[in-house]
Order: sequence, then C-alpha cells, then structure tokens
Amino acid sequence: MASADDARLAVELRKLGKRYGSLQVLADIDFSVATGATVCILGPSGSGKSTLLRCINFLVRPDEGEVYLHGKRIGVKNGASMTERELCRYRVRMGMVFQHFNLWPHLTVLENVIEAPMHVLGRPRADAVGQGKALLAKVGLAEKQDVYPHTLSGGQKQRVAIARALATNPDVLLFDEPTSSLDPEIIGEVLSVMEELSAEGMTMIVVTHEMGFAREAADAVIFMDAGRIVEKATPEAFFTRPSTKRAQQFLQRYMR
Amino acid sequence: MPYLPFLLQGALVTASISLVAIALGIPLGLALAIVRWQRIPLLSQLVALYVSVVRATPAITLALLIFFGSPSIGIVLDATTAAILTLLINTSAFNCEIWRAALIDFPRDQLEAARAYGMSPGLAFRRVILPQVWRTSLPALVNEMTLLVKASPALAVIGIVDLTRAASRIGAATYRPLPPFLAATVIYMLMVMLLVVAQRHVERMVRERYGTG
Amino acid sequence: MIRDFAVALAHYDAYLNGLWNTLWLSAATLVLASLAGAAVAALMLARNKAMRLAAAAFVDAMRCVPFLLFAYLVYYGLPALSLQLDSWACGLIALVIYHTAYMAEIVRGAWTNLSREQIEAGRAYGFAGFPLFRRIILPQLFFASVPVIGNQSIYILKDSAFLMIITVPELTFAASSVQSTYFVPFASFVIAMLLYWLVTLGIEAAVKRVELAAEVRRG
Repeated sequence: MASADDARLAVELRKLGKRYGSLQVLADIDFSVATGATVCILGPSGSGKSTLLRCINFLVRPDEGEVYLHGKRIGVKNGASMTERELCRYRVRMGMVFQHFNLWPHLTVLENVIEAPMHVLGRPRADAVGQGKALLAKVGLAEKQDVYPHTLSGGQKQRVAIARALATNPDVLLFDEPTSSLDPEIIGEVLSVMEELSAEGMTMIVVTHEMGFAREAADAVIFMDAGRIVEKATPEAFFTRPSTKRAQQFLQRYMR
Repeated sequence: MPYLPFLLQGALVTASISLVAIALGIPLGLALAIVRWQRIPLLSQLVALYVSVVRATPAITLALLIFFGSPSIGIVLDATTAAILTLLINTSAFNCEIWRAALIDFPRDQLEAARAYGMSPGLAFRRVILPQVWRTSLPALVNEMTLLVKASPALAVIGIVDLTRAASRIGAATYRPLPPFLAATVIYMLMVMLLVVAQRHVERMVRERYGTG
Repeated sequence: MIRDFAVALAHYDAYLNGLWNTLWLSAATLVLASLAGAAVAALMLARNKAMRLAAAAFVDAMRCVPFLLFAYLVYYGLPALSLQLDSWACGLIALVIYHTAYMAEIVRGAWTNLSREQIEAGRAYGFAGFPLFRRIILPQLFFASVPVIGNQSIYILKDSAFLMIITVPELTFAASSVQSTYFVPFASFVIAMLLYWLVTLGIEAAVKRVELAAEVRRG
C-alpha cells in the first residue's frame, strides 16, 4: 500500500497492538514520523512508551498492526514473520539509545563505536575508525576514545552511546528515556547533543520525561496512557492547551 | 633418587593427558552450556541428564566403565584414549555448569543493544557475550582444572603409567613405597599450585584492565 | 547386553553391600570431618599466630593434594609409625583428615560471613555464652553452610571410590568384583554409576529442603 507520501514518512505505525498474556500493553497505535522530524512520546510510567519504541525496531514483536520504515514493511515478509537475521538488516538502519547506556564493557569507547559499522555493516576498519573519531569529537569526547566505559560518568557514557548509534548512519534514531538515569546536573550535556542532532535534521523518536526538551526540539508530541495514544499535537498546542483530561492531569504533575 | 626419571616420565604422562582433557573440555563444556541456555528441545534435557549423572560419578568408576565397559558395546579403546575420554567427560560436565552460570547471569541490557544495532544472534554471541563470559568463568574454570589434576590418579587403574602408577611401581620394586609416593605428592602439589598461581595472576590482570563493574 | 544386566543384577546383594559401605564411610567422614573441621577453623581464627599459620598450612596443603595419593600415604605411612591398621580404618582416617581441611575452610567462611547485626541484637536481648551460640549463631551458621556442606558431601562420596584401590570393599570395588567374576563390565559399572547418582540426587534434594526452609526465614 505505497503512497506518494511514503518517501517523506520515515516511520509509520498502523494499528499496532501488543499483549503480554491477558494484559493489553499497547492498543490501536497509529502514528507516523516524517523524515527529519523529531517526535517526543510522553506519558506516565506503565503507559507502554518503552514497549512502543521497541516495536519500531522489532526488539519486541507486536501482536497486531504494521510497522513501516521508509515505506517498507518491517517484521513480515511474504506473509510470514521475519527471522532475527532478516530483522538485522532493518535494525542496523535505526540507531537506539538506551536509558542505561548499554555500552559494551569489554571494549574501549572507540571500539564500542566502531563495532557495529565493522562487524554488522562490514566497513573497513580505517573508515570505521575515522568516522568513529569524528563522531566522538562531535559529542565532545574525542580524548576518551581509548578508555573503558566503566571509567566514564553517566553523561559521558550516554554521549558515547549516541555516537555509537550514529556510527551506522541510521535513518532514524530511537531514544528510550535517555536522561532518566542521569544526575540532574549532567542531563544538560546529553540534551544539548540531542538538540543539535534534531536541528541538523535527524529523524528522532524520543521517549522522555524532559518536558523542556520536548517543548524546544520536538516537531510533534504524542501523549500515551494505558497503552493507547491519547493525544497527538504540536508542542505549543500540547503544553499550553492540552485537549484531553488525562493530558491535563499529567502536565499538572510534571510542570513546575 | 635413581628412580626420579621414571617418576618424571609419569608426571609427563599425567600432565599431557590432563592438558588434552582440559583443552578439549573447556569448549565442549561451552557447547553443552549453549544447548541448555538456548533451550534446544530434547537435546537440552539430554545434556541436563548427562551433566547430572557424570557429576555424580567418581572418576575411578567412570574410568573403569569407559575402559573395561566399552568393548561390550562394540567400541575398542586403547588405554590412553580411554584415559583422555574419562577426564574429558568428567570435566565437560562441570564446565557446562560453570559456563551456564555465567550465561544465565549475563546482563540482558547488552544483548538488547547488540540486537538493536543489527547484530545477528551468532555475531552478538561472538563479539559481546563470549568475550565477557569467559572472563567471568575463568576462576571457576581454573578451579576445575585443579580438580581434574587431582582426579587424574584414577587413571592408574586402567593401566596408564601416570605419576601415581609410576610411584606405585617404584614402591613395589623397592619395597619402600613411602618415598616415591611422597615425591609424587610433591609433584602433584606443584602442578596444582602452578594452576592456582596462574589463576590469581589472570584474575588480577582482568580486574585491572576491565574494572570490577 | 540385557543378559549382562540380568547377570549383574542377580548379584544385587554385592552392590547393596558395597553401597552400604560407601554410605557408612561417607556419613562417618561427614560427621567426623565437620567436627574436626570446626576445630581447625577455630584454630585458623585463633589469636596465636603460630596456631593460625599451622592450621592454614594444613588446609592449603590438603587442598593441593590428590585424595588417592593421600590415601596411599596414610595406608603405607601408618605402618611406618608402627600403627598396623586394616585398609578400612586407613581409608576412613584418610577421608576424615583430608576432608577436615575442606570443612575447616567452609566453617571459617560461614563464620566470617555471619551477620554481626543479628548477633548484636541477640546480645542486646540478654543472650550470652552458650545460649547465644545455640539459639542465634548456630542456626545462622547452619543455614548458610548447608548448601556448601551438601556439595562437599558429594565430594566425600566420590572420593570414597578411590579407596577401592587399597581394597576397601565399597561400591566401586563391589562392581569391579562382579564384573571380573562374571565378565559383565559395562552393566556392572553402569549399575554402580546409577547408584552413585541416586545417592547424589538424595543429597541434593535434602539440601533443597533446607534451602527452602532458609528462604522462608530470610524472605
């Protein structure tokens, strides 16, 4: 079902649903992300935000609905579910940044960044290292390239994680509460990297509690509650005039 | 001691058979652990049974079963092969549990990152899991090596002239069993202590390089 | 092959005899080595440096020696000390001394890991001396060390098989006798292996019961 708009839509989700046993974790999820846009997903804990994010790159397999990356359907091929190996080709086109950084402790910072480009994409080492160093410089950690992750602060680890996610030249970046594990003073250094990426035109889907970032950098805000999308709006509309009661209650709790 | 060369020859036999069993037993144990970790149907249960029975079997009983029992089921083994097989089967069962404990404990987060970056399961295992899991398992694996060396005297009953049998023969020939057995004990102790020292050294190196986190 | 098993099983009394001896040796070793091990552990924690070093040296040495070698040393060594004992006694002595070292290490580990706070609470409530030991300290030591002691008893069981070489009539010796008399090696040793396995399963089941009881208390 390709349409002329598909090329402008980086990610599209149609009627997505996910169940764990008898618990419906996601239901009726419908939204799309235009290429170059930054979309923030907000909502209370347990609303299914992280599960939704993981359905986009099929770390979690949805039970219902369809996921499209640049017009191509992910997860199902010729009527059958894709295998892990087939999914790999799509996953490498999406970068993911995790709440707990998930850096690989047995590799140095630079080795973490060049790992996927070299071993998943098969790029020659010289290319991967060159790009890796440039990315580390971009996130402000050029001098840390040869240290092991355990010596870094949380904010530094997350910036390395962002560099790592960028190393495969992804079409889309997925962020799963990237600053929730960080001390308040350090959150800023990560958010400024994210804002810069957004301004440069990277397509980003960000699950976050950082309302300031959503207000400043997002092109659209999606508010979720109990597994469903409750409201979709621009940041201005959402933060000043939320149209649903749930959104109003949520903002009251979170805004100072 | 005029019989020292004979004793050292026995020590060499013990050392070489042990080394072969150790070298084969570590990857074999890993293969068995992966079968259980991946929950491969039927094979998984067979491995669990194998591990349970072998870990309960004394080395000497296993050696006797393999060497004297195998002709009954149509397999002919020379003493050396039977000896290596005995130690290998024994150590693979213990190594399986060691590897399995490390695999079960492995943080899911890192696996999630590997999957998210498009790594296939095989690639993720080779590049992310294995490099770390062998470091976690190393102390227990070396401990098992010392247990293997301490169990190796069992091979004396199937005709291998290892260190123990050499000492026994010398004792029988000289009518003074104590001195050769004492010498053999010292040699065994040196072998075990060598492994323990190597283990501490490796543990320290790993800790310094990769941190305790 | 079926015939072989039938022949071997016809001599079930030989196996049961051997099993009984194995169990008897193992149980006796467990009890004696635990008591002696506790004593050695006390020495390892003593104030006197010479005692501490001697105890530590004993434990470290035993843990580097293969059991069969130690059994040989006891078997040939006791006569040299003018002690003429039969192979049974030599075997038991070897097992006990050897595993005392391992038990000492276990007890020492459990002792140093005792929760200081709980003992303090006991003392604050007026427990002292023997009652303190019996009602507060001992249960903790017990629950903490049972899994490890269970493990060690499996090692004792397996080490007892080595004694067949000095002709102690335990289970493997019995299996060996049956097989050499009736030429049924595979069947005979498989039966012995299964019996060792059953005993081990029994020990593991018992340890699990105790662990469950500990879980209930610990939460």
